[in-house]
Formats: sequence, C-alpha cells, structure tokens
Amino acid sequence: MENSTQESHLRSDNSVTYESAYTVYAMALSSTPSSTNINHQRIALGSFLEDYTNRVDIISFDPETLSFKTHPKLAFDHPYPPTKLMFQPNRKSASSSSSCSDLLASTGDFLRLWEVRESSIEPVTVLNNSKTSEFCAPLTSFDWNDVEPKRIGTSSIDTTCTIWDIEKCVVETQLIAHDKEVYDIAWGEARVFASVSADGSVRIFDLRDKEHSTIIYESPQPDTPLLRLAWNKQDLKYMATIQMDSNKVVILDIRSPTTPVAELERHHASVNAIAWAPQSCKHICSAGDDTQALIWELPTVAGPNGIDPLCVYSAGYEINQLQWSAAQPDWIAIAFSNKLQLLKV
Amino acid sequence: MSTGVQHQERVPMNLKKQLALAVRNIQWSYAIFWSISTRQPGVLEWGEGYYNGDIKTRKTVQSVELNTDQLSLQRSEQLRQLYESLSAGESSPQAKRPSAALSPEDLTDTEWYYLVCMSFVFNIGQGLPGRTLSSGQPVWLCNAHCADSKVFGRSLLAKSASIQTAVCFPFSGGVVELGVTDLVFEDLSLIQRVKTLLLDDPQPIVSKRSIQVDGMNNDLACPALDPLILATKLSPILGCEQLETVSPDDSPDGLEPKQSREDSLLIEGINGGASQVQSWQFMDEEFSNCVHHSLNSSDCISQTIADHRKVVPLCRGENDNGLQDVEECNQTKLTSFDRQNDDRHFHEVLSALFKSSHPLILGPQFRNSNKESSFIRWQKNGLVKPQKERDETPQKLLKKILFLVPHMHDRGLIESPETNAVRDAAWRPEADEICGNHVLSERKRREKINERLMMLKSLVPANNKADKVSILDVTIEYLQTLERRVAELESCRKSEARTKIERTSDNYGNNKTNNGKKSSLSKRKAYDVVDEADQEIGYVASKDGSTDKVTLSMNNKELLIEFKCPWREGILLEVMDALSILNLDCHSVQSSTTEGILSLTIKSKYKGSSVAKAGPIEQALQRIASKC
Repeated sequence: MENSTQESHLRSDNSVTYESAYTVYAMALSSTPSSTNINHQRIALGSFLEDYTNRVDIISFDPETLSFKTHPKLAFDHPYPPTKLMFQPNRKSASSSSSCSDLLASTGDFLRLWEVRESSIEPVTVLNNSKTSEFCAPLTSFDWNDVEPKRIGTSSIDTTCTIWDIEKCVVETQLIAHDKEVYDIAWGEARVFASVSADGSVRIFDLRDKEHSTIIYESPQPDTPLLRLAWNKQDLKYMATIQMDSNKVVILDIRSPTTPVAELERHHASVNAIAWAPQSCKHICSAGDDTQALIWELPTVAGPNGIDPLCVYSAGYEINQLQWSAAQPDWIAIAFSNKLQLLKV
Repeated sequence: MSTGVQHQERVPMNLKKQLALAVRNIQWSYAIFWSISTRQPGVLEWGEGYYNGDIKTRKTVQSVELNTDQLSLQRSEQLRQLYESLSAGESSPQAKRPSAALSPEDLTDTEWYYLVCMSFVFNIGQGLPGRTLSSGQPVWLCNAHCADSKVFGRSLLAKSASIQTAVCFPFSGGVVELGVTDLVFEDLSLIQRVKTLLLDDPQPIVSKRSIQVDGMNNDLACPALDPLILATKLSPILGCEQLETVSPDDSPDGLEPKQSREDSLLIEGINGGASQVQSWQFMDEEFSNCVHHSLNSSDCISQTIADHRKVVPLCRGENDNGLQDVEECNQTKLTSFDRQNDDRHFHEVLSALFKSSHPLILGPQFRNSNKESSFIRWQKNGLVKPQKERDETPQKLLKKILFLVPHMHDRGLIESPETNAVRDAAWRPEADEICGNHVLSERKRREKINERLMMLKSLVPANNKADKVSILDVTIEYLQTLERRVAELESCRKSEARTKIERTSDNYGNNKTNNGKKSSLSKRKAYDVVDEADQEIGYVASKDGSTDKVTLSMNNKELLIEFKCPWREGILLEVMDALSILNLDCHSVQSSTTEGILSLTIKSKYKGSSVAKAGPIEQALQRIASKC
C-alpha cells in the first residue's frame, strides 16, 4: 500500500486545478474548440450560493501548458444556483467565419440559452412554458439531444418533462412523466429519452408514442428517489443511475427491464455523479462523497465478489460533479467545494 | 574451485551471527557485508548477509521446531540458497536442479531486494559500498528509494522493496551495509552501536571450509552440487546497476507491474551504457507465468530455468571464461532487446485492433506505462480512506440542487421544502437537516399565526366557521359594526348635552329647588337607561316611581309629554283641553291605566309659531292632576 501512496503523490502533478471564488456545482465542457486557440477547451462553471445572485463563469483550459485562463467578460448572473449547464453538442463551428460562438444552456427557474462569443455572453432566449402566470415550475435538469441539436428535454419538479425546439423557441411537447418530481433526463437517440424521478423509477419515453412509457427499473425500496441518470451514448443498451443515499452505481440494460446488469459497489460513501466514457462503450466513471473518483470497466461476466474498479483518484473533498466530455476524452473534469480539477485519464 | 572456497574463507561464520544481532538490535531490515573479492581484485561483492525484514510465507520444510533467531537465520540461508539455485543456470541439463526450500513467489518485495543484492558487484569507488570503501567514511542515504541511480544504483530496487534508508560503513576490510524500510535520519551513534555489536564477539577470521560448504548445502536435495559452480554462476554486473526486481504477486494482476517495470527497466538498461541486462527479467517472466497459472512447485521453476538456462547471462566484463560467455552475453542482450520489441509490438497490435491507443481500452497491461495519468491502480484493500466523520448528510450538494433550489424560485422565498413534502415523507428528514434553521423559524411563525387566528375566532361572537378566511371576514364585519355603534353613541352623548330635560317632581312645592337636582338626576338616569334597541335620539325616559309626574322633552318642535296622575273620570278630556289652549297640537296619544294610575304619553306639535314655555304646560297639567 505504501507503493500506491507514493505513486499518488507523484501523479498529483497531472491534475490541473482551478480555484473559484465560490462553491461550484454545475459544470459543462464545450464541444466546440475555442476560436482563439483550436486546442483550448472552454469550461462553464456555475456557482452554488444559497442566495438570489449566482454566477456562471467561463474559463478556458490549455491541455498543453496544463493551465487555466479566466475570462472576466465571459460571465453572467443567474437567479439562484443553476441546476445544470451544458454546451450545445457537436456544434458545427464554421471555420471560415470569424465569430465562433458557442451556445450554452442553463436551467434553474427557466431554460435559458446564452450565446458565448469571444468577448461577451449574450442571452439568447428564456424559454418559459407557463402561459398563465410568470411562475413556471423550476427545472431540475435537462439534456441536449446530440443527434438532433435543436431539441432539448427538461425535467421539472412538477412531474413533467418538456421537450423544446430551441430554433423556433417553442414547446414540442410536454409529458407528465412520473408521479413525483423528475430529477434527471437523458436522451438516447433523436426521439427517445429516459427520466428518473422521486418515485424511484427509470422510464423510457418515445416521442412517436407519447401515451406510453416503459419502466425499466424501479428502486428496490419503494419510493426511494433516483437522483441521476446517464445513458451510454456509445452503447445505447446501457444506462447508469444512482439512488439517494446509496453508494452503488446501478447499471441497467434496457433490454432486460427491472433487473440491473450490475451494481458497482466500491464507493465508501454515497455517489454523487456518474459519466460514461465518450470514447469507449465499456467504461464509466463515478464520483462520490468518499472523495474518490473511480473508473470502472464493465466486464462481460462479473466475478463473484462484484466488479472492481480499474483505477481510482482521491480528491480530498467530496466530489459533487463529474463531466467526461467527448471533446476531451483524455480528461475527466470533477468539481469539489470551490475547485474544478481536470484529471488525466 | 579454490577461488570460490577462498572467497568463502575470508568471511567468518560468526559474522553472520553478528550481523544478525546487530540488525535485530537496531531493528532494521537487512545487513550485508560486502567483501573484497578474491577472484577479482578491486571489486566488492557479496560476502555475508542477514535478512530481518518482512516475510511473506513461512514454508517450513524442517520438522524441527526452531526459535525465532534460528528461524531468521534459516530464512537468510534459504534466501541465499534460492539465489544460488536461480543463478545456477549453466550446469548441464542432466544435473538435478537444486530445489530450494523457498520458491520465488514466497518472497516479499524486500526479500527480493535482498536476494538480488547478492548478485551485485561494485568497483571500488563506485556505488554506495564502493564509495564507502574508498573514502573510508560511513555513508548515510535517506530516501534511498528516490535516490538518483548514480548515487545509489539500486534505488529502483529499493523502491520496489520500500527500502527508504541505506547506510554503509567500512568494516574489517569490507563494507557493512544496513537498510530499513522506514525513513531514519542520520545518526552516527547508530553506526557506532552497530560497530560495537559487530565487534562484540571477535573471532579469528579463519574460515572453516567445511562449515561453509555445509552451510550452503543445507537443505539441498542434491548433495552433489558443486559450490564452485554456484559461485561461478554469480552474475556480476559492472558499472551502473539499474535493475529492478519484480516480485510475483498473488493476484493475477501481478503480470502487469512486472511487464511495466520491465519496460522501464529495459529502457533504462539500454541507457545505462556499460551495464548488461541481467536475466532476472526472463526468470521473472517465467515465474510470473508460473504464478499466473498458479503452479507453486519448485519443479516448475526448475523446468523453466532449464528451458531458459541459455538465457542466463553470465556476462562479465573481464573474465577468463572467454568467448563463450561473451556470446552468451550477446545472446542475452539480443533477447532482451527482442523482449522489449515484443512488448512494443504487442502494444501496437492492440492499438490496431481496438483502433485506439487510449490506455483505457488497451487494458490494464499498459496502464502503468501511461505515467501521466492522474489515476492510480485500484487495490483490493483500497487506499487508506479518509476517516472523516460522516455526520453531514450524504449527497448534500446534490440534494440541495434537486430539493432546495427549485423551491427557491417559488415566490422568491427560501421556503422549506417541508410544506411541499407532504406527499413524499420519505425524504423529509433529509430536507429538515438541510434546511435547519429555516424550518424551525417557519414552523414557529405559522404556529403563532394560527394561534392568533383562533383567539380572534373566540372573540367574535356567532362565528361558526373555522377556516382562516372566514374568521377574518367575520372579524372584519364585527369590527365595522362596533365602529358604527361607537360613533352613534358618541353623537348621542352630544345631542344629549344640547337637549334640555326638565322634570317636575310630585312634590310641587319643592319644584324649584328640586328641579335642578331632579333634572340632573333624571338626566343621569336617562343615560343609564339608554336602550340599545331604541335609536330615538333625545329620548329621555324617567323611571321615577312617584305619581303625579309630568315630564316634558323637546325635540325639533315636537313636544313629548309624559304624565302620570291618579285616574278619574274625564281627566283625559281635561288634559286635551288644556293642551289645546296652550296651542299644542297633539298628534299622538298613548294612555294606559294601571292600578288607578293613568299614564299618558303625548306627542304634540306647536300650532303656529308661538312656542309654549314648559312652565305653563306643566302648571296646567299639574292643576288637572291635583283636581280631585
């Protein structure tokens, strides 16, 4: 064991840390290269302050020099903490045009779209579904469809999921997805999405047949909320979800409902975030309150003692957020307390 | 043969014991005595050693019970034998393999380090022992595992064995080296102590050849083993020692570190210049294969050694065995290069297959070759996890984002989710914990409000409904009613002050004097008797019990006369006549007779503009009343 501590000491040089002024929760990695430098990676950080004024900052990361660069002008205020941030996936950056702007979406009270330009951020739209009053059910999460980039699905505490067409800025459809608040939503392909909720179920919806949904998993203790969902974009058979107060990452095969394919139980405390590897269909990363980020490889056959992770990273604080972007498959971004750290895989 | 024996001669048997004593006394991991080789002048080689470090398995071949001292001694012996059996590669295939009591997989990393040290040879002035001997001064090396290989050639070895401190000092024509897995700071007194211990039992440095041979041949299955062969099979390494040994692990993952270290070692070996790569890696390969296939017999090892005996290098820079060795050496070098190429080739094969050179996909084999990764390999026992007290809520921030934040938007108040948690009682406790003070203060506030509303309800009469809105409505109405009444009463009081009320008492004589009193009395009494139901303003009623009483009150040209007198016939007609004489137009008369007393209430108006004074009216009525 002494060997490992020595090694980790040596290897800590390979993680790059950015310290923010406030606690960070929401985090997004851009899929578009920055206009200034093709290798720079833009990262959006959302603050978590239990206050009205919250902030979203954009910083850029240079993988060669392993350094961060802040852009004071690329920041905006957000009412209450943003629950999720996401850049538009697969945004075609027109190399000829000089203005290489990126589209960033944030959820909180409404779904908001922001255009991130070189030196400023302009709000594009505020998407509000409520027709009667200004009050709209707050959103817990959203997912941007990468096959159909004009489609965003949002999940809300009023038990509904809303699908938006952001080019026309209208609601495509709104479904009552669950009996209780919906906590996360993930797209499978252009017309299929899944959501998890406080009622403890994972349901798959098809926009072609909005009347019906399929429950593919229910948490073993009834009414235990499922807090996060991740759909493996490389292999759509597999999904991962985490339960409230649980240290297990439940891997589901959508072809065999109700029975999980695997339960990854090597965290010492509850899991906070999960992300599938963008370059491989078998790897998943999870991070939790035990300050560890684990990378797992899902074998075809599991051993009797369960599956062990491939490798581990200890952060020192409870890790709250985890992002593994396709734009930077070699780097995993984690957020804990007020820091953002990029770990080399 | 003689050289080998002579080599042994110089080292006394008791040195081993002394080393054992010394190292046990200071509780270090090993002690080695490097002695000047008799075969090669100017070269330090393994003289004697004692291993006092961690032991993995206790493979006791003997049935005899030994005490700890003897066990440890035996252990060191066994390590020596193992080394010698491993290095015995060049003997003919027919010769029986010496089966050592220990097999490589029984050894811990530190034991391997100790064993490999046996193969080392130092020029005087080179390496840690060499420098010590040439300078004649003790050398204390801290963080030996991190040391530069020029300073401490076996630093990589030490890293694998976790040897953190190494100390060398010259002693009796050679160098004593001590090592430990802990980090110990320089302490010359320690060296002194060891020296004292070593010199404690001085014996003539005269070898007993037979003992030596016996000692070596202990536990050997094949007694015919020629110690010379063993000795000559020592593979010295000149120059920089850049070897790394690998210990076979129990886990199948053991393959990986071996190969990776092998990779690094190969690279460094080639960079090492004059160094010649030892065959250890090959042997280790085979050992690892054995382990992998979980074969534990020494036969396996011997077989593999037999197979690869050609590969055992006996490359020596200058020796008299001639070309044969050089050829072998070259062969070894080539095979070692091949091995490295093999790995690289395999790496490429995998990359092509999986169309990716990402270390994740290529599998755990090549994981550690990616030195840049922030992640480290997962260990079964896990890293030492932080023993932090988990009194906070699990998934605290995640829960806040999902449960608290949406409700922050709710009317802009940071309301506790408790109000909305009626449906989902399951996570209410967590919500409470998260909200903390908010919940308590909110709850108190609501309780206070409810309490006051109940009080309001009880104050307002005729309130049947219990809901808050109704309570408030009824209270509002009641308040308005009360306000109206208060206003009425206040204006009534004012108008009373304006109106003159005069009364006459039955005692006519005292009229004047009593009038004032009586009128004030009547006035006072009038106020006492205000009837709520009667909204007539200015109405004054006297409840005086005396008969023959006349009361007059005036209001807007309307005169109200109240008159009581004993009844007699025709009295009413007389009253009417008297009033009409006085220019009073009676438009309302109420009369009643009770117990012989006539009570008259007359409302009348003045005819014309003349206003009769109260006096004459009273007098007239009194006259009528008194007539009988």
